[in-house]
Amino acid sequence: MLGLIKKDLLMIKSNIKTLFIILVVYGVMAYQGQMDLSFILPFMSVMIMISTFSYDAYNKWDAYASCLPNGRQNSVRAKYIATLLLIIITTAIVTILMIAIAYARTKSIDLESVFSTVLGTAFATIILQSFMYPSIYKFGVEKARIGIFIVVFGIAIVGGIIAKYIDFKPMFQVLDNLGNYWMIILPVVMILVLYLSYKISEGIYKKKEY
Amino acid sequence: MMENILEVKNLSKKYKDFELKSINFKLKKGMIMGFIGENGAGKTTTIKAILDIIKNYKGEIKIFGLDNKKNDKTIKEDIGVVLDDMFFPEILMPIDINSIMKDNYKNWDSNLFFKELSDFSLPKNKQIKTFSKGMRKKLEIVTALSHHPKLLILDEPTSGLDPIARNEVIDIFQDFIQNEECSILLSSHITTDLEHIADYITFINDGEIILSKTCDELLEEYGIVKCNESDFKKIDQKDFIKYKKNKYEYEILVENKKEFLKKYNVTTIDKLTLEDLMLLMIKGVK
Repeated sequence: MLGLIKKDLLMIKSNIKTLFIILVVYGVMAYQGQMDLSFILPFMSVMIMISTFSYDAYNKWDAYASCLPNGRQNSVRAKYIATLLLIIITTAIVTILMIAIAYARTKSIDLESVFSTVLGTAFATIILQSFMYPSIYKFGVEKARIGIFIVVFGIAIVGGIIAKYIDFKPMFQVLDNLGNYWMIILPVVMILVLYLSYKISEGIYKKKEY
Repeated sequence: MMENILEVKNLSKKYKDFELKSINFKLKKGMIMGFIGENGAGKTTTIKAILDIIKNYKGEIKIFGLDNKKNDKTIKEDIGVVLDDMFFPEILMPIDINSIMKDNYKNWDSNLFFKELSDFSLPKNKQIKTFSKGMRKKLEIVTALSHHPKLLILDEPTSGLDPIARNEVIDIFQDFIQNEECSILLSSHITTDLEHIADYITFINDGEIILSKTCDELLEEYGIVKCNESDFKKIDQKDFIKYKKNKYEYEILVENKKEFLKKYNVTTIDKLTLEDLMLLMIKGVK
């Protein structure tokens, strides 16, 4: 499986220049206080992973991978592991940068605020990818991209309508009551959601014909 | 001792508009089998079933004497594949392929991979997307060979190659079977290539195997008789396989040249080519 993980990481590597440029541009903007850096890199990681799916589809990689020893079993696992690695790396870079920028600008660091922002972004990224991947394996990149856009847009509209009639304060109260425990709960939920998504994708992939 | 490296028994697969109908053939050690048929005849579907990358097919497929589904990992360690338009993502480079494959195959031979790249003048540090179609095909072949497989399954491996490159590739295939332990299943439209290297020819048409013989048998025993209408009318239907009426003459495919010559007063029987065979088998009538 290591070979298949390497394949995705090498594909990501070929996008490293783009990532670096974005990092520099947004880093400067964040330093000037024009931009919040927290979400940029993790969301870029989503785009980069999606582009690996596009390249895979274009070159019919999945069919070729199925001809390798354990290729069919390991392909999906490798994609999820590469995703997780990318999120961990980008989140770590963003955390360091946010601390450095905060220190450079104000000479004081609110670590709790940095960690909570970064963890929240990582959570959102993983949830998005957990929904996207099974759809991509089932319907292909193009259809899944459109599908996810419709779903996210739909949720935003429905959420907006519901928010007018329902009071969310008790829910936020529950979250407040969790105190710092959510720092543990959130990563556990992330891993669980990602694992569930992986099992669904694996199920789809095993039945796939090429 | 295992004699057959590949056995396909009663392989069937149904699609909405196409069906593989009880495919049977065997490939012995040290042999090259040419798998021919027109587009959509079922060559690629058969190859995909052998590699177990399509599902819900019926029948039994044994590779190295083992069931292809139950022993998927073991079998695939010893198979090299070149599949039509299926390969690594094109943003990768040959050097990346080496890095990936050495962790996928126990027997991956990096030295062999780089030697073959160099022999084919393929750059190792350029993205695949910068390669021409021929270069890409060569890279696919080099990749298929670099883990010392015992069976090569090649779907149109010479398409897109110029005659010189095709010749180089055919030499590589011939070297590959020299130790008499390895075999090749090779589907190709370029039938002249097969005439040079194939020991067996298996011909699939509309999802059915209509012929599976040694290449020598085919080219020596089969022949094409060309005659006019009056001569054609004298020939018994059971003495030929198919015929085609051209503008000025009839072309008749016969299974046994010698017998035919004895029985009929025919002066010339042309030597068969695989292209003639395909044309008459598909376009001919009986």
